[in-house]
Amino acid sequence: MAVPTLTVEHVTKRFGTTEFGVTAVEDFTFDVAEGEFVSVIGPSGCGKSTLFHIIGGLTGDYQGRVTVGGETVNGPHPAIGMVFQEESTFPWRNVIDNVAFPLELRGVSRAERLERALHYVTMVGLRGFEQRYPAELSGGMRQRVSIARTLAAQPKILLMDEPFASLDEQTRLLLGAKVTQIQQRLRQTTLLITHSLTEAVQLSDRIVVMTFRPGRVRRIVEVRLPRPRGDDILTSPEFGRYVAELWVDLREEANRGLDAAEHLAT
Amino acid sequence: MAAARLRLIAAVAIMAAWEALAASGLLFRDVVPSLWYIAKALAITLADPAFYRNLGVTSGEFLMAVSVGGLAGASAGLALGANRFLAAAYERWVHYLAPVPKIIFFPALLLAFGAGPGSKIAMGAISCFFPVAISVASGVRAVRPVLLNVGHGFRATTWQMATKIYLPAVREPLLNGLRLGFGVAAIGILLAETKLSKAGIGFLVMDSYRRFDMPGMYALLILVVLLVAAVNAALTRLNRN
Repeated sequence: MAVPTLTVEHVTKRFGTTEFGVTAVEDFTFDVAEGEFVSVIGPSGCGKSTLFHIIGGLTGDYQGRVTVGGETVNGPHPAIGMVFQEESTFPWRNVIDNVAFPLELRGVSRAERLERALHYVTMVGLRGFEQRYPAELSGGMRQRVSIARTLAAQPKILLMDEPFASLDEQTRLLLGAKVTQIQQRLRQTTLLITHSLTEAVQLSDRIVVMTFRPGRVRRIVEVRLPRPRGDDILTSPEFGRYVAELWVDLREEANRGLDAAEHLAT
Repeated sequence: MAAARLRLIAAVAIMAAWEALAASGLLFRDVVPSLWYIAKALAITLADPAFYRNLGVTSGEFLMAVSVGGLAGASAGLALGANRFLAAAYERWVHYLAPVPKIIFFPALLLAFGAGPGSKIAMGAISCFFPVAISVASGVRAVRPVLLNVGHGFRATTWQMATKIYLPAVREPLLNGLRLGFGVAAIGILLAETKLSKAGIGFLVMDSYRRFDMPGMYALLILVVLLVAAVNAALTRLNRN
Protein backbone atom coordinates (compact mmCIF):
# COMPACT_ATOMS: atom_id res chain seq x y z
CA MET A 1 0.00 0.00 0.00
CA ALA A 2 1.10 3.49 -0.76
CA VAL A 3 1.71 6.06 1.93
CA PRO A 4 -1.46 7.33 3.56
CA THR A 5 -2.50 10.64 2.07
CA LEU A 6 -5.15 11.28 4.72
CA THR A 7 -4.74 10.33 8.34
CA VAL A 8 -7.12 10.73 11.25
CA GLU A 9 -5.23 10.37 14.51
CA HIS A 10 -6.92 9.92 17.89
CA VAL A 11 -9.65 12.38 17.07
CA THR A 12 -12.09 13.07 19.91
CA LYS A 13 -14.92 15.56 19.73
CA ARG A 14 -17.26 16.47 22.54
CA PHE A 15 -20.31 18.68 22.34
CA GLY A 16 -21.61 20.59 25.33
CA THR A 17 -20.08 20.93 28.79
CA THR A 18 -18.07 18.28 30.63
CA GLU A 19 -21.08 17.63 32.83
CA PHE A 20 -23.83 17.56 30.24
CA GLY A 21 -22.11 16.70 27.04
CA VAL A 22 -22.08 14.10 24.32
CA THR A 23 -18.91 12.57 23.03
CA ALA A 24 -19.66 12.34 19.33
CA VAL A 25 -16.34 10.85 18.24
CA GLU A 26 -13.77 9.21 20.51
CA ASP A 27 -10.13 8.32 19.86
CA PHE A 28 -10.84 7.79 16.17
CA THR A 29 -7.88 6.63 14.13
CA PHE A 30 -7.67 5.44 10.53
CA ASP A 31 -6.09 6.47 7.26
CA VAL A 32 -6.73 6.55 3.55
CA ALA A 33 -4.03 5.69 1.01
CA GLU A 34 -3.62 7.40 -2.31
CA GLY A 35 -6.10 6.11 -4.88
CA GLU A 36 -7.96 4.17 -2.22
CA PHE A 37 -11.72 4.18 -1.63
CA VAL A 38 -12.52 4.00 2.07
CA SER A 39 -15.97 4.06 3.65
CA VAL A 40 -16.85 4.90 7.21
CA ILE A 41 -20.03 3.10 8.12
CA GLY A 42 -22.12 3.38 11.24
CA PRO A 43 -25.69 3.61 12.51
CA SER A 44 -27.44 6.95 12.37
CA GLY A 45 -26.51 9.25 15.22
CA CYS A 46 -23.10 7.68 15.73
CA GLY A 47 -21.14 10.81 14.91
CA LYS A 48 -20.44 10.16 11.23
CA SER A 49 -21.37 13.66 10.17
CA THR A 50 -19.24 15.12 12.96
CA LEU A 51 -16.29 13.16 11.61
CA PHE A 52 -17.05 14.44 8.11
CA HIS A 53 -17.10 18.04 9.28
CA ILE A 54 -13.87 17.60 11.23
CA ILE A 55 -12.00 16.08 8.27
CA GLY A 56 -13.48 18.76 6.01
CA GLY A 57 -12.10 21.42 8.33
CA LEU A 58 -15.54 22.87 9.04
CA THR A 59 -15.55 21.87 12.72
CA GLY A 60 -12.74 22.91 14.98
CA ASP A 61 -12.17 22.52 18.67
CA TYR A 62 -11.47 18.78 18.80
CA GLN A 63 -8.64 16.69 20.17
CA GLY A 64 -6.33 14.71 17.95
CA ARG A 65 -5.09 15.45 14.51
CA VAL A 66 -6.12 15.19 10.88
CA THR A 67 -3.38 15.35 8.27
CA VAL A 68 -3.38 15.58 4.49
CA GLY A 69 -0.09 14.67 2.85
CA GLY A 70 1.58 15.02 6.24
CA GLU A 71 0.18 18.51 6.74
CA THR A 72 -2.13 19.13 9.69
CA VAL A 73 -5.62 20.17 8.64
CA ASN A 74 -6.63 23.49 10.08
CA GLY A 75 -9.74 24.71 8.34
CA PRO A 76 -10.87 23.57 4.89
CA HIS A 77 -7.87 22.06 3.12
CA PRO A 78 -7.36 22.69 -0.61
CA ALA A 79 -6.67 18.99 -1.20
CA ILE A 80 -10.08 17.95 0.14
CA GLY A 81 -13.29 18.29 -1.83
CA MET A 82 -16.54 17.80 0.03
CA VAL A 83 -19.91 16.50 -1.13
CA PHE A 84 -22.66 17.13 1.39
CA GLN A 85 -25.55 14.99 2.46
CA GLU A 86 -28.19 17.68 2.05
CA GLU A 87 -29.21 19.29 -1.16
CA SER A 88 -26.38 21.75 -1.79
CA THR A 89 -26.64 23.06 -5.33
CA PHE A 90 -27.04 26.82 -5.68
CA PRO A 91 -30.64 27.34 -6.82
CA TRP A 92 -29.75 30.62 -8.54
CA ARG A 93 -27.10 29.03 -10.78
CA ASN A 94 -27.73 26.70 -13.68
CA VAL A 95 -25.97 23.34 -13.87
CA ILE A 96 -22.84 24.51 -15.67
CA ASP A 97 -22.38 27.55 -13.44
CA ASN A 98 -22.90 25.41 -10.35
CA VAL A 99 -20.18 23.02 -11.49
CA ALA A 100 -17.89 25.91 -12.47
CA PHE A 101 -18.29 27.51 -9.05
CA PRO A 102 -14.96 26.37 -7.49
CA LEU A 103 -13.11 27.42 -10.65
CA GLU A 104 -14.80 30.82 -10.54
CA LEU A 105 -13.54 31.26 -6.97
CA ARG A 106 -10.02 30.62 -8.19
CA GLY A 107 -10.34 33.25 -10.91
CA VAL A 108 -10.25 30.84 -13.87
CA SER A 109 -11.40 32.68 -17.01
CA ARG A 110 -15.01 32.14 -18.03
CA ALA A 111 -14.24 30.29 -21.25
CA GLU A 112 -11.84 27.91 -19.55
CA ARG A 113 -13.99 27.21 -16.53
CA LEU A 114 -17.03 26.47 -18.68
CA GLU A 115 -14.98 24.04 -20.74
CA ARG A 116 -13.63 22.30 -17.67
CA ALA A 117 -17.04 22.27 -15.99
CA LEU A 118 -18.58 20.72 -19.09
CA HIS A 119 -16.08 17.88 -18.82
CA TYR A 120 -17.35 17.00 -15.34
CA VAL A 121 -20.99 17.59 -16.26
CA THR A 122 -20.49 15.01 -19.00
CA MET A 123 -18.73 12.67 -16.59
CA VAL A 124 -21.73 12.54 -14.26
CA GLY A 125 -24.05 12.05 -17.23
CA LEU A 126 -25.72 15.44 -17.29
CA ARG A 127 -24.67 16.53 -20.78
CA GLY A 128 -27.57 18.42 -22.30
CA PHE A 129 -28.72 19.77 -18.95
CA GLU A 130 -26.06 22.50 -18.62
CA GLN A 131 -28.53 25.35 -18.86
CA ARG A 132 -31.11 23.85 -16.50
CA TYR A 133 -31.63 25.17 -13.01
CA PRO A 134 -31.62 22.85 -9.95
CA ALA A 135 -35.37 23.32 -9.48
CA GLU A 136 -35.88 21.68 -12.87
CA LEU A 137 -33.86 18.57 -11.95
CA SER A 138 -34.60 15.45 -9.92
CA GLY A 139 -32.93 14.87 -6.56
CA GLY A 140 -30.53 12.35 -8.07
CA MET A 141 -29.53 14.77 -10.82
CA ARG A 142 -28.97 17.56 -8.32
CA GLN A 143 -26.72 15.33 -6.27
CA ARG A 144 -24.76 14.53 -9.43
CA VAL A 145 -24.37 18.27 -9.98
CA SER A 146 -22.92 18.55 -6.46
CA ILE A 147 -20.51 15.69 -7.15
CA ALA A 148 -19.45 17.22 -10.48
CA ARG A 149 -18.93 20.57 -8.79
CA THR A 150 -16.63 19.03 -6.21
CA LEU A 151 -14.76 17.03 -8.88
CA ALA A 152 -14.28 20.22 -10.91
CA ALA A 153 -12.15 21.54 -8.07
CA GLN A 154 -9.92 18.51 -8.74
CA PRO A 155 -9.41 17.65 -5.09
CA LYS A 156 -6.75 15.08 -4.17
CA ILE A 157 -9.25 13.59 -1.76
CA LEU A 158 -12.97 13.34 -2.36
CA LEU A 159 -14.88 13.43 0.91
CA MET A 160 -18.55 12.51 0.75
CA ASP A 161 -21.15 12.51 3.52
CA GLU A 162 -23.98 10.13 2.63
CA PRO A 163 -24.38 11.74 -0.77
CA PHE A 164 -27.07 9.25 -1.76
CA ALA A 165 -28.99 9.18 1.52
CA SER A 166 -31.93 11.22 0.29
CA LEU A 167 -32.33 9.25 -2.92
CA ASP A 168 -34.49 6.26 -3.72
CA GLU A 169 -32.95 2.78 -3.89
CA GLN A 170 -32.74 2.55 -7.68
CA THR A 171 -31.22 5.96 -8.14
CA ARG A 172 -28.81 5.17 -5.36
CA LEU A 173 -27.59 1.97 -7.02
CA LEU A 174 -27.21 3.65 -10.39
CA LEU A 175 -25.39 6.59 -8.89
CA GLY A 176 -23.19 4.22 -6.90
CA ALA A 177 -22.17 2.49 -10.13
CA LYS A 178 -21.49 5.89 -11.69
CA VAL A 179 -19.30 6.94 -8.78
CA THR A 180 -17.30 3.68 -8.93
CA GLN A 181 -16.80 4.26 -12.64
CA ILE A 182 -15.58 7.81 -12.08
CA GLN A 183 -13.42 6.80 -9.16
CA GLN A 184 -11.73 4.10 -11.24
CA ARG A 185 -11.19 6.47 -14.10
CA LEU A 186 -9.75 9.31 -12.04
CA ARG A 187 -8.07 6.97 -9.55
CA GLN A 188 -9.72 9.32 -7.12
CA THR A 189 -8.83 8.94 -3.46
CA THR A 190 -12.22 8.86 -1.80
CA LEU A 191 -13.59 8.79 1.72
CA LEU A 192 -17.30 8.02 1.88
CA ILE A 193 -19.37 8.40 5.02
CA THR A 194 -22.45 6.18 4.83
CA HIS A 195 -24.95 4.09 6.72
CA SER A 196 -25.66 1.85 3.76
CA LEU A 197 -24.01 -1.58 3.84
CA THR A 198 -24.48 -2.34 0.16
CA GLU A 199 -23.15 1.06 -0.81
CA ALA A 200 -20.05 0.58 1.35
CA VAL A 201 -19.28 -2.91 0.05
CA GLN A 202 -20.03 -1.99 -3.57
CA LEU A 203 -17.67 0.97 -3.56
CA SER A 204 -14.92 0.45 -1.00
CA ASP A 205 -11.45 -0.99 -0.73
CA ARG A 206 -11.71 -0.77 3.03
CA ILE A 207 -14.60 -0.16 5.40
CA VAL A 208 -14.23 1.44 8.81
CA VAL A 209 -17.08 0.28 11.05
CA MET A 210 -18.05 2.83 13.67
CA THR A 211 -19.59 2.17 17.08
CA PHE A 212 -22.67 3.96 18.32
CA ARG A 213 -22.02 6.92 20.59
CA PRO A 214 -19.31 7.60 21.34
CA GLY A 215 -18.19 6.89 17.79
CA ARG A 216 -15.10 4.71 17.92
CA VAL A 217 -13.47 2.46 15.37
CA ARG A 218 -15.02 -0.95 15.88
CA ARG A 219 -13.31 -2.74 13.06
CA ILE A 220 -11.67 -2.08 9.71
CA VAL A 221 -12.69 -4.52 6.99
CA GLU A 222 -10.78 -4.97 3.78
CA VAL A 223 -13.05 -5.64 0.80
CA ARG A 224 -11.25 -8.02 -1.56
CA LEU A 225 -13.69 -7.91 -4.42
CA PRO A 226 -12.33 -7.59 -7.95
CA ARG A 227 -12.44 -4.29 -9.79
CA PRO A 228 -13.92 -2.88 -11.90
CA ARG A 229 -17.13 -3.61 -10.05
CA GLY A 230 -20.23 -3.55 -12.18
CA ASP A 231 -23.83 -4.12 -11.19
CA ASP A 232 -23.26 -7.89 -11.34
CA ILE A 233 -21.14 -7.65 -8.21
CA LEU A 234 -24.29 -6.91 -6.21
CA THR A 235 -25.61 -10.43 -6.77
CA SER A 236 -22.34 -12.33 -6.26
CA PRO A 237 -22.02 -14.59 -3.19
CA GLU A 238 -18.85 -12.82 -2.03
CA PHE A 239 -20.71 -9.53 -1.98
CA GLY A 240 -23.46 -11.08 0.09
CA ARG A 241 -20.90 -12.54 2.49
CA TYR A 242 -19.33 -9.12 3.12
CA VAL A 243 -22.71 -7.51 3.66
CA ALA A 244 -23.78 -10.24 6.07
CA GLU A 245 -20.52 -10.07 7.98
CA LEU A 246 -20.72 -6.31 8.34
CA TRP A 247 -24.36 -6.46 9.31
CA VAL A 248 -23.43 -8.52 12.39
CA ASP A 249 -21.25 -5.61 13.56
CA LEU A 250 -23.60 -2.92 12.50
CA ARG A 251 -26.73 -4.54 13.92
CA GLU A 252 -25.24 -4.52 17.38
CA GLU A 253 -24.41 -0.84 17.11
CA ALA A 254 -27.73 0.06 15.55
CA ASN A 255 -29.50 -1.75 18.39
CA ARG A 256 -27.57 0.30 20.92
CA GLY A 257 -28.74 3.36 19.03
CA LEU A 258 -32.36 2.19 19.22
CA ASP A 259 -32.04 1.44 22.93
CA ALA A 260 -30.65 4.89 23.53
CA ALA A 261 -33.55 6.43 21.65
CA GLU A 262 -36.09 4.40 23.66
CA HIS A 263 -34.33 5.33 26.85
CA LEU A 264 -34.73 8.99 25.93
CA ALA A 265 -38.38 8.49 25.04
CA THR A 266 -39.32 6.98 28.41
CA MET B 1 -62.70 42.21 -16.55
CA ALA B 2 -65.62 42.63 -14.17
CA ALA B 3 -63.22 43.94 -11.51
CA ALA B 4 -61.80 46.51 -13.94
CA ARG B 5 -65.33 47.69 -14.78
CA LEU B 6 -66.16 47.93 -11.08
CA ARG B 7 -63.04 50.02 -10.46
CA LEU B 8 -63.99 52.32 -13.35
CA ILE B 9 -67.51 52.77 -11.96
CA ALA B 10 -66.05 53.54 -8.51
CA ALA B 11 -63.72 56.16 -9.98
CA VAL B 12 -66.54 57.79 -11.92
CA ALA B 13 -68.72 57.80 -8.78
CA ILE B 14 -65.99 59.49 -6.74
CA MET B 15 -65.44 62.11 -9.44
CA ALA B 16 -69.18 62.75 -9.63
CA ALA B 17 -69.34 63.18 -5.85
CA TRP B 18 -66.37 65.55 -5.97
CA GLU B 19 -68.00 67.56 -8.73
CA ALA B 20 -71.32 67.68 -6.83
CA LEU B 21 -69.51 68.90 -3.72
CA ALA B 22 -67.72 71.57 -5.73
CA ALA B 23 -71.02 72.73 -7.28
CA SER B 24 -72.94 72.64 -3.98
CA GLY B 25 -71.20 75.74 -2.65
CA LEU B 26 -71.05 74.19 0.84
CA LEU B 27 -67.29 74.71 1.03
CA PHE B 28 -65.06 77.54 -0.09
CA ARG B 29 -64.96 77.33 -3.84
CA ASP B 30 -61.19 76.85 -3.92
CA VAL B 31 -60.92 74.02 -1.39
CA VAL B 32 -62.80 71.64 -3.65
CA PRO B 33 -62.32 73.07 -7.13
CA SER B 34 -64.28 71.67 -10.03
CA LEU B 35 -62.60 68.85 -11.92
CA TRP B 36 -62.62 71.10 -14.92
CA TYR B 37 -60.21 73.52 -13.18
CA ILE B 38 -58.03 70.68 -11.98
CA ALA B 39 -57.81 69.30 -15.52
CA LYS B 40 -56.84 72.72 -16.81
CA ALA B 41 -54.19 73.06 -14.07
CA LEU B 42 -52.90 69.60 -14.95
CA ALA B 43 -52.44 70.68 -18.57
CA ILE B 44 -50.71 73.88 -17.52
CA THR B 45 -48.41 72.00 -15.14
CA LEU B 46 -47.49 69.43 -17.76
CA ALA B 47 -46.61 72.21 -20.19
CA ASP B 48 -44.55 74.11 -17.66
CA PRO B 49 -40.77 73.62 -17.88
CA ALA B 50 -40.53 74.53 -14.19
CA PHE B 51 -42.44 71.35 -13.35
CA TYR B 52 -39.90 69.21 -15.17
CA ARG B 53 -37.00 71.07 -13.63
CA ASN B 54 -38.38 70.42 -10.16
CA LEU B 55 -39.26 66.84 -11.05
CA GLY B 56 -35.64 66.44 -12.10
CA VAL B 57 -34.44 67.79 -8.76
CA THR B 58 -36.66 65.40 -6.79
CA SER B 59 -35.80 62.43 -9.04
CA GLY B 60 -32.11 63.16 -8.68
CA GLU B 61 -32.44 63.37 -4.91
CA PHE B 62 -34.43 60.14 -4.91
CA LEU B 63 -31.88 58.23 -7.01
CA MET B 64 -29.00 59.42 -4.87
CA ALA B 65 -30.89 58.63 -1.69
CA VAL B 66 -31.84 55.08 -2.64
CA SER B 67 -28.35 54.37 -3.99
CA VAL B 68 -26.69 55.52 -0.80
CA GLY B 69 -29.36 54.20 1.57
CA GLY B 70 -29.89 50.95 -0.34
CA LEU B 71 -26.18 50.15 -0.59
CA ALA B 72 -25.56 51.04 3.05
CA GLY B 73 -28.64 49.07 4.12
CA ALA B 74 -27.68 46.00 2.11
CA SER B 75 -24.11 46.05 3.45
CA ALA B 76 -25.29 46.56 7.01
CA GLY B 77 -27.86 43.79 6.60
CA LEU B 78 -25.24 41.36 5.27
CA ALA B 79 -22.89 42.20 8.12
CA LEU B 80 -25.59 41.98 10.80
CA GLY B 81 -26.98 38.75 9.42
CA ALA B 82 -23.64 37.02 8.96
CA ASN B 83 -21.81 38.21 12.06
CA ARG B 84 -23.22 37.25 15.43
CA PHE B 85 -21.04 39.76 17.27
CA LEU B 86 -22.21 42.70 15.16
CA ALA B 87 -25.81 41.52 15.46
CA ALA B 88 -25.55 41.39 19.25
CA ALA B 89 -24.01 44.85 19.35
CA TYR B 90 -26.15 46.74 16.84
CA GLU B 91 -29.23 44.91 15.68
CA ARG B 92 -31.41 45.97 18.60
CA TRP B 93 -30.63 49.62 17.83
CA VAL B 94 -31.52 49.21 14.20
CA HIS B 95 -34.88 47.75 15.22
CA TYR B 96 -35.47 50.57 17.72
CA LEU B 97 -34.61 53.29 15.22
CA ALA B 98 -36.51 51.78 12.30
CA PRO B 99 -40.03 52.93 13.27
CA VAL B 100 -38.91 56.41 14.39
CA PRO B 101 -40.29 59.04 11.97
CA LYS B 102 -37.09 60.15 10.26
CA ILE B 103 -38.42 63.69 9.75
CA ILE B 104 -37.44 64.52 13.34
CA PHE B 105 -33.82 64.26 12.19
CA PHE B 106 -34.44 66.84 9.47
CA PRO B 107 -33.28 69.89 11.49
CA ALA B 108 -30.03 68.12 12.25
CA LEU B 109 -29.65 67.18 8.57
CA LEU B 110 -30.32 70.79 7.57
CA LEU B 111 -27.46 71.87 9.79
CA ALA B 112 -25.19 69.18 8.41
CA PHE B 113 -26.05 69.34 4.71
CA GLY B 114 -27.72 72.71 4.17
CA ALA B 115 -31.14 73.63 2.75
CA GLY B 116 -30.27 72.29 -0.74
CA PRO B 117 -30.59 68.76 -2.13
CA GLY B 118 -28.00 67.43 0.37
CA SER B 119 -30.39 67.37 3.32
CA LYS B 120 -33.16 65.80 1.18
CA ILE B 121 -30.82 63.07 -0.04
CA ALA B 122 -29.78 62.40 3.54
CA MET B 123 -33.42 62.18 4.64
CA GLY B 124 -34.22 59.71 1.86
CA ALA B 125 -31.09 57.67 2.47
CA ILE B 126 -31.75 57.33 6.20
CA SER B 127 -35.35 56.35 5.49
CA CYS B 128 -34.30 53.77 2.89
CA PHE B 129 -31.54 52.28 5.04
CA PHE B 130 -33.68 50.68 7.75
CA PRO B 131 -36.14 48.49 5.85
CA VAL B 132 -33.34 47.27 3.57
CA ALA B 133 -30.98 46.48 6.46
CA ILE B 134 -33.65 44.65 8.49
CA SER B 135 -34.96 42.67 5.53
CA VAL B 136 -31.49 41.62 4.35
CA ALA B 137 -30.33 40.70 7.87
CA SER B 138 -33.22 38.30 8.39
CA GLY B 139 -32.76 37.00 4.83
CA VAL B 140 -29.11 36.21 5.53
CA ARG B 141 -30.11 34.19 8.58
CA ALA B 142 -32.47 32.16 6.45
CA VAL B 143 -29.71 31.09 4.03
CA ARG B 144 -29.31 27.30 4.24
CA PRO B 145 -26.15 26.52 6.25
CA VAL B 146 -25.07 23.83 3.81
CA LEU B 147 -24.66 26.45 1.07
CA LEU B 148 -22.33 28.37 3.35
CA ASN B 149 -20.43 25.16 4.07
CA VAL B 150 -20.03 24.62 0.33
CA GLY B 151 -18.47 28.07 0.09
CA HIS B 152 -16.18 27.50 3.07
CA GLY B 153 -15.29 24.05 1.77
CA PHE B 154 -14.08 25.61 -1.48
CA ARG B 155 -12.23 28.16 0.61
CA ALA B 156 -14.17 31.19 -0.60
CA THR B 157 -12.89 34.52 0.72
CA THR B 158 -15.16 36.74 2.81
CA TRP B 159 -15.78 38.92 -0.25
CA GLN B 160 -16.61 35.87 -2.38
CA MET B 161 -18.94 34.55 0.32
CA ALA B 162 -20.73 37.91 0.36
CA THR B 163 -21.03 38.39 -3.39
CA LYS B 164 -21.40 34.83 -4.65
CA ILE B 165 -23.45 33.18 -1.91
CA TYR B 166 -25.09 35.61 0.51
CA LEU B 167 -26.11 38.22 -2.05
CA PRO B 168 -27.77 35.89 -4.58
CA ALA B 169 -29.32 33.91 -1.72
CA VAL B 170 -30.96 37.03 -0.26
CA ARG B 171 -32.09 38.45 -3.60
CA GLU B 172 -35.77 38.22 -2.69
CA PRO B 173 -35.61 39.80 0.80
CA LEU B 174 -33.26 42.44 -0.66
CA LEU B 175 -35.77 43.38 -3.37
CA ASN B 176 -38.61 43.43 -0.84
CA GLY B 177 -36.54 45.65 1.45
CA LEU B 178 -35.68 47.94 -1.44
CA ARG B 179 -39.34 48.26 -2.34
CA LEU B 180 -40.21 49.34 1.16
CA GLY B 181 -37.10 51.51 1.19
CA PHE B 182 -38.04 53.27 -2.06
CA GLY B 183 -41.43 54.12 -0.60
CA VAL B 184 -40.14 55.59 2.64
CA ALA B 185 -37.32 57.39 0.80
CA ALA B 186 -39.89 59.09 -1.42
CA ILE B 187 -41.92 60.02 1.65
CA GLY B 188 -38.85 61.38 3.43
CA ILE B 189 -37.71 63.44 0.47
CA LEU B 190 -41.11 64.93 -0.34
CA LEU B 191 -41.74 65.66 3.32
CA ALA B 192 -38.37 67.38 3.64
CA GLU B 193 -39.05 69.41 0.49
CA THR B 194 -42.34 70.67 1.92
CA LYS B 195 -40.55 71.76 5.11
CA LEU B 196 -37.65 73.78 3.84
CA SER B 197 -36.40 73.83 0.28
CA LYS B 198 -35.96 75.87 -2.84
CA ALA B 199 -36.78 73.22 -5.41
CA GLY B 200 -38.46 69.89 -5.96
CA ILE B 201 -41.99 68.55 -6.25
CA GLY B 202 -42.63 68.97 -2.53
CA PHE B 203 -41.56 72.59 -2.85
CA LEU B 204 -43.96 73.08 -5.79
CA VAL B 205 -46.85 71.62 -3.78
CA MET B 206 -46.18 73.99 -0.89
CA ASP B 207 -45.66 76.87 -3.31
CA SER B 208 -49.05 76.38 -4.95
CA TYR B 209 -50.59 76.07 -1.49
CA ARG B 210 -49.03 79.34 -0.43
CA ARG B 211 -50.33 81.03 -3.58
CA PHE B 212 -53.71 79.41 -2.85
CA ASP B 213 -53.58 77.75 -6.27
CA MET B 214 -55.70 74.76 -5.26
CA PRO B 215 -56.27 73.35 -8.74
CA GLY B 216 -52.50 73.49 -9.33
CA MET B 217 -51.85 71.76 -6.03
CA TYR B 218 -54.30 68.97 -6.80
CA ALA B 219 -52.78 68.58 -10.24
CA LEU B 220 -49.37 68.07 -8.62
CA LEU B 221 -50.78 65.56 -6.14
CA ILE B 222 -52.33 63.56 -8.98
CA LEU B 223 -49.01 63.54 -10.82
CA VAL B 224 -47.11 62.39 -7.72
CA VAL B 225 -49.57 59.54 -7.14
CA LEU B 226 -49.26 58.45 -10.78
CA LEU B 227 -45.45 58.58 -10.63
CA VAL B 228 -45.26 56.56 -7.42
CA ALA B 229 -47.71 54.01 -8.82
CA ALA B 230 -45.59 53.69 -11.98
CA VAL B 231 -42.38 53.16 -10.00
CA ASN B 232 -44.11 50.59 -7.84
CA ALA B 233 -45.44 48.71 -10.87
CA ALA B 234 -41.95 48.67 -12.38
CA LEU B 235 -40.51 47.25 -9.15
CA THR B 236 -43.19 44.58 -8.97
CA ARG B 237 -42.28 43.49 -12.45
CA LEU B 238 -38.57 43.46 -11.53
CA ASN B 239 -39.37 41.34 -8.49
CA ARG B 240 -41.21 38.78 -10.55
CA ASN B 241 -38.40 38.22 -13.05
